[in-house]
Amino acid sequence: MNYLLIFVPFIALVLVNLLPKKLRPISSFLVLLLILAAQSIFAALAPFGLIRAVGAVRMEHLFGFHLLIDNLSLLLLLSAGIVGFSALMVAWHSIKDEDDRFNFTNLLFILLIGMNGISMLRDLFSLYVFIEAIAVSTFIMILLYKAREAYEGALKYLILSVVASVMMLSSIALFIMFCGGTSFEVIKLSLVSSGALARIAIALFICGLFIKGGLVPFHGWLADAYTSAPAPVSVVLAGVVTKASGIFTLIRLLTAVIGFSPATKDLLLIIGAISIVIGALAALGQKDIKRMLAYSSISQMGYILVALGCGTRLGLIAAAFHFLNHAIFKSQLFANAAAVEEQTGSRDLGSLGGLAQKMPVTGITSAIASLSTAGIPPLSGFWSKLLIIIALWVSGNYFYAVIAVLASLLTLAYFLTLQREAFFGQVSVKVSSVTEASAGMLIPAVLLSAMTVGLGLVFPFVIKYFVR
Amino acid sequence: MIIAIILLPLIAGLISLMVPDRLKGVKEGIALFSTIIGLIIAALLFKQNIMFTIPWLGFGIDLSFRLYHFSAFILLAIAGFGAAISLYSVAFMWGKEKLNQFYAYFLLTVAFANGAVLANNLILMLFFWEGLLLTLFGMIIIGKKEAFKTAIKAFVIVGITDLCLMLGIALTGSLADTFTMSMISLPTSGLGALAFVLLMIGAIAKAGSMPFHSWIPDAALDAPLPFMAIMPAAIEKLLGIYFLTRISLDLFRLNPGSKISLLLMTIGALTILLAVMMALIQKDYKRLLSYHAISQVGYMILGIGTMVPAGIVGGLFHMINNALYKSCLFLSGGSVEKQTGTTDLSKLGGLGKQMPITFICFIVAAVSISGVPPFNGFFSKEMIYDGALERGWIFYLAAVLGSFFTAASFLKLGHAAYFGKSETANKTKEASWAILLPMIVIAGLCVLFGVYNPLPLHALIQPVLGAKLEGRDFAGLPTNAIIVLITLVVLAAAVLNHWFGVRRTGKGIGAADHIHYAPGLSQTYDLAEKRYFDPYDIGMKIANWLAKLLNAVDKAIDWIYEKLTVGVTFAFTSAIRWSHSGNVSTYVVWSLAGAAVAIIMVLIR
Repeated sequence: MNYLLIFVPFIALVLVNLLPKKLRPISSFLVLLLILAAQSIFAALAPFGLIRAVGAVRMEHLFGFHLLIDNLSLLLLLSAGIVGFSALMVAWHSIKDEDDRFNFTNLLFILLIGMNGISMLRDLFSLYVFIEAIAVSTFIMILLYKAREAYEGALKYLILSVVASVMMLSSIALFIMFCGGTSFEVIKLSLVSSGALARIAIALFICGLFIKGGLVPFHGWLADAYTSAPAPVSVVLAGVVTKASGIFTLIRLLTAVIGFSPATKDLLLIIGAISIVIGALAALGQKDIKRMLAYSSISQMGYILVALGCGTRLGLIAAAFHFLNHAIFKSQLFANAAAVEEQTGSRDLGSLGGLAQKMPVTGITSAIASLSTAGIPPLSGFWSKLLIIIALWVSGNYFYAVIAVLASLLTLAYFLTLQREAFFGQVSVKVSSVTEASAGMLIPAVLLSAMTVGLGLVFPFVIKYFVR
Repeated sequence: MIIAIILLPLIAGLISLMVPDRLKGVKEGIALFSTIIGLIIAALLFKQNIMFTIPWLGFGIDLSFRLYHFSAFILLAIAGFGAAISLYSVAFMWGKEKLNQFYAYFLLTVAFANGAVLANNLILMLFFWEGLLLTLFGMIIIGKKEAFKTAIKAFVIVGITDLCLMLGIALTGSLADTFTMSMISLPTSGLGALAFVLLMIGAIAKAGSMPFHSWIPDAALDAPLPFMAIMPAAIEKLLGIYFLTRISLDLFRLNPGSKISLLLMTIGALTILLAVMMALIQKDYKRLLSYHAISQVGYMILGIGTMVPAGIVGGLFHMINNALYKSCLFLSGGSVEKQTGTTDLSKLGGLGKQMPITFICFIVAAVSISGVPPFNGFFSKEMIYDGALERGWIFYLAAVLGSFFTAASFLKLGHAAYFGKSETANKTKEASWAILLPMIVIAGLCVLFGVYNPLPLHALIQPVLGAKLEGRDFAGLPTNAIIVLITLVVLAAAVLNHWFGVRRTGKGIGAADHIHYAPGLSQTYDLAEKRYFDPYDIGMKIANWLAKLLNAVDKAIDWIYEKLTVGVTFAFTSAIRWSHSGNVSTYVVWSLAGAAVAIIMVLIR
């Protein structure tokens, strides 16, 4: 089962490219849709024991790395499935050119392989390889239309990714130097008697991941990349890609290898709190919907980070749950933004207004996702934020708990600004003849906001069976 | 039957609210019909004992009514006044505006009053009691244009006292472990005393005693006149004194020597004196009467407060007597207002010849309230004197002094309105029969209750006391000859005083001027007329001051939220925007610096 998650997309990718040119776009779309749906269902059902999947498969004799699925892996598999599905739906309706569309699906295949790999890998170097695979396909994705501003966004991403790669590679080199290997088990064993060098290696790797995850002050590339990327790309980018390569790897690393030392906890808390505040404040000042959402992403990543910084089981649960919620509502918000841009041709809050009258479904789903992000009960975002705050409070980090609470007011402030400027109020001249987006664009939005509401309502159930 | 007497006026009131103004006479018909039926039912219910209980809200709050001699007596009185005043209103209010509201509030008042009297559960009683606050507000606000101020005043005063009543009921309920009135019997010590005082505040405020009186004189000028005759003059007095008697005799075990008894008597004595002093100087028919409506409550509270049989019987007798002559007086005022268009005493005069029947009714009621034998007020006052003297000469003195001023002010009122001359006097005609009939009936009752006082005392009042009566019978002539003699001397002094005043100024209206402008009193009166002593106005001043202070605090908090927080937030936001120059080398430097700090942090920990 485990290796299927990597090989099925890979083989499918090869096969669809062998097909006659005319059949390629539609077949690749359908095959990827099928794979994503299957993966989502698998990941959602696995925790209930309906599908026996949890466990390790050793494949050292074949590839030199081994894959292991645990509940954390399932979390990423599910997120990747859901977000990939949404991005694919958005892409099918917003990418007009057939070749572009085919290229996008191909790249999405590679992204999927990369994320599935990250979710299961237990080897630092292999992890790095998959992260890079994701990064490379992301650069190309951002440049899908070869637009001028996309070059700038992709370039910034590329440059900072290189910085991250340098950090991670030097860290891996250090690990090899004093551990003699890059497998998690090996590193963990030798970390018991670690010196200053090991600490530097850890800090370097974490900082590399911070760049990948776009946390303040490592976030310079993020806003431009998200904003300049084509609509479906920003859905997948914001929803899961940066989180998978940055945050998820960090969680994996912390739980499986390095553990929570006081220094790492402080690092996580400080970087998290800075990200929360700066991200939220920056989002408040944005006029571009996607840019606002990008900064909001930074702020939400900060929440996950401070939850991790508690170093407690509750903090981990909160972080994992917020990870899933964020994947759902952020990809939905970007899908909404895509719908708005598709229908009005603009993302500028100043020129929009009263869209909820013209695009009721988009307006309502966007309101749900916004409220969920801001942590309004009973939506799922409320529960994860509540858990984060409780985790902070219980672990004695009162200062950070207060910041988390106050910053959620800022979150509410910028989302209300977004809702008011774009969807409520007077119908502006520019949007007076706008119609609702096509069904394909609405399916992911409706599906995702249904998940937001549903997860919020059955929250205890989710916590009990899924996020462990 | 017992439910019907509440539901009938309730439904009739709601129906008349819906009757459009175009259909003339329908509302009047409904009101007249339902009050007369109500009177018949009340008469049929009289002398019956009915207990009616069905479970209602839980927590000991049952829909429980109890009809026994006391509630039947009050029920009959309310029904009687209801019928008389609805007949009067038909003539008086004919053609005026907002009639549907007037009749609706009128009938609802009757319904709620009946409910409050019958209720055997404190919470249920409170429900009806609060309903009366609603109709009180409604009745005043449909009056003149500026009436809303008075309505709000009445609402605030009565609302606050009702809050006291509510707290008292809660406390009583928790002390007695039940809300069923017939099962409560508490001592007045410790918390019991507090509970009693809270309930007492509700009761005496409803009756219109000082210091909860100040809306009544204002309402006298603003509200429709039948309202004054039915609410402050009759129903509210009946209810307030009824409830005061209930708590003093049944719900709490009060002793004649207790502090609470002393408190009640002090309130009573002060109310008598202060209100009557204010009445003396009034220059308006209705406003003068309204101060008497306050003053007379003092007698009842004093009588009941004595906690001796003579005082309690006197207080209750005075309650029904006062309801009779006071409503009669208000109705006579209404008759004058209807026929001349004014109640300003300086414009009235010489009406005695033109309106003889009104005049005679006024005379009967005025001598009753002044306590002239053999009218009803004389007998009830003698009993109160008797009771007061038993408890202390100072209370007796206050009561007698009150009598003197009462008589003096009615001599002045009668003289100014019905004797002398005025421009309008010759053109004025006698009022219509519908206005006269209620007055004649009520005045007749005043005479009957005086001349043949065993009727009300044996049938209505003395059964209320039961064992507390100690076997005595107060019917017939007063037993204490000295008190009667003093009363007569006081009345004679009042006449002399009036003669002196008229001689001095030459006019009936100036009969009290030598008291009004006496050194010392004059300044006090000025301040009182400017409402310096009005508890409501004092309270409002304090409330205004508090409101300004809180407003300033609120503004400051608003400023912190609306200006400071937002300003600081946006200052940060623009700083962050400014720092995000879009220059990729800057971002790389940030990342490297961040990594450096992280490594240093990890190393030094």
